[in-house]
Amino acid sequence: MSSKYYIPSDNTPLPPKSAEVLTTCCDYCIVACGYKIYRWPVGSADGGPKASDNAFNTSFPNAAPMSPWVAPTQHNVVMHKGRPHNVVIIPDKDAKVVNFTGDSSIRGGTIAQKCYNPDSPTRDRLQSPMIRINGTLQPVSWDLALDVATDVMKHVVKEHGANAYGMKTFSYQYLENTYAASKFGRRHMKTANFTFHDTPADVTSTPGFRDAGFDNFAASYQDWRDAEVLMICGCDPYETKTIIFNQFIKPAIDAGQKTVWINVRETAGIAYAKSKGNALFLQIDPGTDTPVMGSIARVIMENGWEDSEWIKNWVNDKWGSSSGFGQGTRNTPWQWRTTWGKFQTKGYEDYKKWVLSQDEYIPENAAKIANIDAADILKAAEMLSGGGKTRPKTSFGIEKGFYWSNNTANTNVVSSLATICGAGGRPGQMVSRFGGHQRGGTGGGKYPRNKSPQKRPGRRRQALDCDRFFYAGHTRLAHVVGTTWIQAMCGTGGLNSKFEELVTNNPNQVRSWNREDIVKTLNARADSGGTVVINHDIYLRDPIGSKYADIVFPAATWGESDFTRANGERRIRLYSKFYDAPGDAKPDWWIFAQLGQRMGFDGFDWKDANQVCEESSRFSRGNRKAYHMVKVAAHREGKTLHEKFRELGTTGIQGPTFINEKTGALEGTVRQHDTTATEEMWKDRSGGTNMMSKKWTHFKSQTGRVNIQKHPWSLFSDFWEWTKPKGDELWHTNGRINEVWQSGFDDVDRRAYISQRWPENWTEIHPDDAAKRGIESGDQVMLYSNRVPNFKATIKGVHGSDFNFADLLKNGWIELEEAAVSAVAIVTPNVKKGTMYSYFLNTSQPSNVLQGRIPDQISGNYNYKMGVSKVKKIGESKYKSEFRSMSFAPRNIV
Amino acid sequence: MSELNKKDETAAEHGKCMLNRRQFLMYSGSAAAAASTISVSLIPGQAQAKARVVGYPRKKIGQLSALKDDQPINFNYPDNAANSSAMLVKMGGVKAGGGVGSQRDVVAFSYMCTHQGGNMMGAYKAVGNHRVMGMCPLHLSTYDLTRHGIIVSGQAYQSLPQVLLEVDGDDIYAVGVMGLLYGRNDNLIES
Repeated sequence: MSSKYYIPSDNTPLPPKSAEVLTTCCDYCIVACGYKIYRWPVGSADGGPKASDNAFNTSFPNAAPMSPWVAPTQHNVVMHKGRPHNVVIIPDKDAKVVNFTGDSSIRGGTIAQKCYNPDSPTRDRLQSPMIRINGTLQPVSWDLALDVATDVMKHVVKEHGANAYGMKTFSYQYLENTYAASKFGRRHMKTANFTFHDTPADVTSTPGFRDAGFDNFAASYQDWRDAEVLMICGCDPYETKTIIFNQFIKPAIDAGQKTVWINVRETAGIAYAKSKGNALFLQIDPGTDTPVMGSIARVIMENGWEDSEWIKNWVNDKWGSSSGFGQGTRNTPWQWRTTWGKFQTKGYEDYKKWVLSQDEYIPENAAKIANIDAADILKAAEMLSGGGKTRPKTSFGIEKGFYWSNNTANTNVVSSLATICGAGGRPGQMVSRFGGHQRGGTGGGKYPRNKSPQKRPGRRRQALDCDRFFYAGHTRLAHVVGTTWIQAMCGTGGLNSKFEELVTNNPNQVRSWNREDIVKTLNARADSGGTVVINHDIYLRDPIGSKYADIVFPAATWGESDFTRANGERRIRLYSKFYDAPGDAKPDWWIFAQLGQRMGFDGFDWKDANQVCEESSRFSRGNRKAYHMVKVAAHREGKTLHEKFRELGTTGIQGPTFINEKTGALEGTVRQHDTTATEEMWKDRSGGTNMMSKKWTHFKSQTGRVNIQKHPWSLFSDFWEWTKPKGDELWHTNGRINEVWQSGFDDVDRRAYISQRWPENWTEIHPDDAAKRGIESGDQVMLYSNRVPNFKATIKGVHGSDFNFADLLKNGWIELEEAAVSAVAIVTPNVKKGTMYSYFLNTSQPSNVLQGRIPDQISGNYNYKMGVSKVKKIGESKYKSEFRSMSFAPRNIV
Repeated sequence: MSELNKKDETAAEHGKCMLNRRQFLMYSGSAAAAASTISVSLIPGQAQAKARVVGYPRKKIGQLSALKDDQPINFNYPDNAANSSAMLVKMGGVKAGGGVGSQRDVVAFSYMCTHQGGNMMGAYKAVGNHRVMGMCPLHLSTYDLTRHGIIVSGQAYQSLPQVLLEVDGDDIYAVGVMGLLYGRNDNLIES
């Protein structure tokens, strides 16, 4: 299959009995299904259709559903030890966790297509380090590229300070790589100009969870199944955590689980739940979750439907709220907010009083803001709390549509609502994120917050907004690791122009192959106020790699080095190396090792991935993944950490991990904050090198109880009112789609089967909005706006309201930009009237250009989902009349 | 340019980038060669002969005049062994890729979901101008039957296999399959 055109095949090779079998997990979404790789040399016989002749012990054709089978998209040919080998990669049919019966999504199901094969659209994998000379990226030796990179790093730090070196890196591409990256950037380069792929500053994704005391991934997948009522906020797990839906939520819905959904858009999972008659769908306008959920809380409290027993035992009262702060009173997020008085309560009664005093939480008012029926708010209150009858086990799961709309207040309100419903710390009664990417982060160094030049009103320094810092011209060397940076952020038009100005249009451009000359030129660029860009990636990304990078390092990835990573229930597994990385590509940990050694840093002399993993383990102690005890167990058995993980196969182990000192057994942990755990269950897990944390059995707060918090709408409502569509504008929000989810770097460009489905940028528009503008499905449309707000400089706040949107606007910190992207229109009733929904990251047409670059003033995250746009037809796409690509059928046909 | 001609242009464009039957035979021909079947050079206008060369039977599965709008007829193809369950349907005037008949709205597809092999008999749906198969009862995959069985929403590893049709007078023949049927390593079982 050498073409991007999808050409369905009508046969496929079967692995022979002699095929080697290795385990791995899917590289993509948070769920991380277990997979098996069957590998056999090209030229040796394939397996036959008789059970006795293939590795599956299954005869073909095989009528049984869910049995082993190989689709043509699940086979590939790769190089292994320099010889071509067939690989068949299918979900593990013997999986004992996560993807039972060998289930999988469309993304993981076709992951074999990800592997480098010069006969396929993966042929443009980066294979050699490159330096831009005379405007063109030219292959050079590793030594030259690494020497130049470190010479410039040393110069920039010496002349312009540590913060002039900026690192923008993935937070999830395996424990080994993230450990090496953060050890390099934080512990040794000591820069505050450091952040991850999905946020402008190194901050928590869920400030409300953190302050309430909830870990993002406290729940286990079984809790989503065991809940009798499940509230799902800002996502459809069928689309973006497929196997959680297929294997846990769908069976529960079939057995009578009630679901309450809050979303702007109805997709297959919501439609399916509704068809079973036990779902309530709150189809709100963007950004209005807080009034809706606050009013649900109000109804529950007014009727006395709250879980008083739970509140009495597990919610902080006045004294609990004010006590401790764990880290001292000067430097905790909780403390500075309490100074401000906007969030802290004196306990449940105080919270109730506050909610009752806020007009936006009167159901009629909330319904009006959110553009829904007020009766549904009452219905939701009844479903979630039991309405005064038997209390159901209720759980709450959130994801990006929710926490990236009104980051702080939305995560505050769900925490408080969940708490009064008795959720948070019991089986089937949990509050967590469902998750986005997999959890592959391990800290190799602490973020140096006190070096950040950014400060909130009051006392506390804030993690640096690296976009604004770059925008202001302070980043002289940008080290970009495995992310597009530009398109993935908000209001990206301005960021892109700034890169062009500081990198491409700077007069200091390399014209020589000589190391000294190259370094001299790049140093001169930095000294003149320009920026030098270093980029690691697996493909050349446009524009960060193709237009801006001065130095490119080719990275090895999934299947090309042994790696470890956790999923959304903290389950850690080994991702086996099973083929040779293309050309000279090297894993990122290796690249950091080389850079670190050249910088003269200690402890960058790792020989293999296992050594990095073993070194990192002690930094995981006390956190949700805590895999240190797996290493202790491995060493007791004379094994390496990776060997031990390999032994645990696709089952892996759920963090935090312990060694039972009585039995010697290695044990995982089903859920955090498990208040039902008894002393008996935990007593043998202490001692030795085991590390206890109160959050295993209590909450992650100063007292171990939940902080019930206010969720002030007023901190956001000025921005929301200002943003609200005016005249001919519609809300414009964006997000993921099932077929391309955490897999965009492979799919849309390089997987023929997926690129035929989603060949171009698209936007969903309601039939009424479309008709008014003469738009039909398949039309090419322009989405455009002349009021994309961008917060343009790094400033220090002085007065309490300095970071309110209205004040920023008044004081001249907001610049309004024009932005436009084109897209193929999909006219569908599954999106709310008045709202358009676009794909979030088509790299050539990033719909994020329309989303305001205004970090949440409390947390520092972007509210990516908030934008408005006008739309007009500019022509007809070929997809309107051809049959090969795209589909305009709605996603909610049951 | 008249509306009719415009449509024909579209059809030509479509023929170029989508597999028409002749191209299909070419692709499966090369694959069949690996399974020790004879491969011969293609001669335009002799498609029927090629069908036999690649081993797919030419099987009469219905008559145009007997089809009722949006009412599928079940048949088995390419044989009667496991997972050969398929349907023939006239989609009420909605033109489709690979469609035959004067309105090009007569298509045939496998019933077997290419995700995990759920049988979708009874899941054909006509909603407005959309014609889909699904949701599959197992994991909710849905396919667009106007667009060669492309996935609408769901988890399938490939499009729903389309049975290629030929019309001779009023008779409809199945002559090949585009895409691998679930549960098979080859659509054509070695006898």
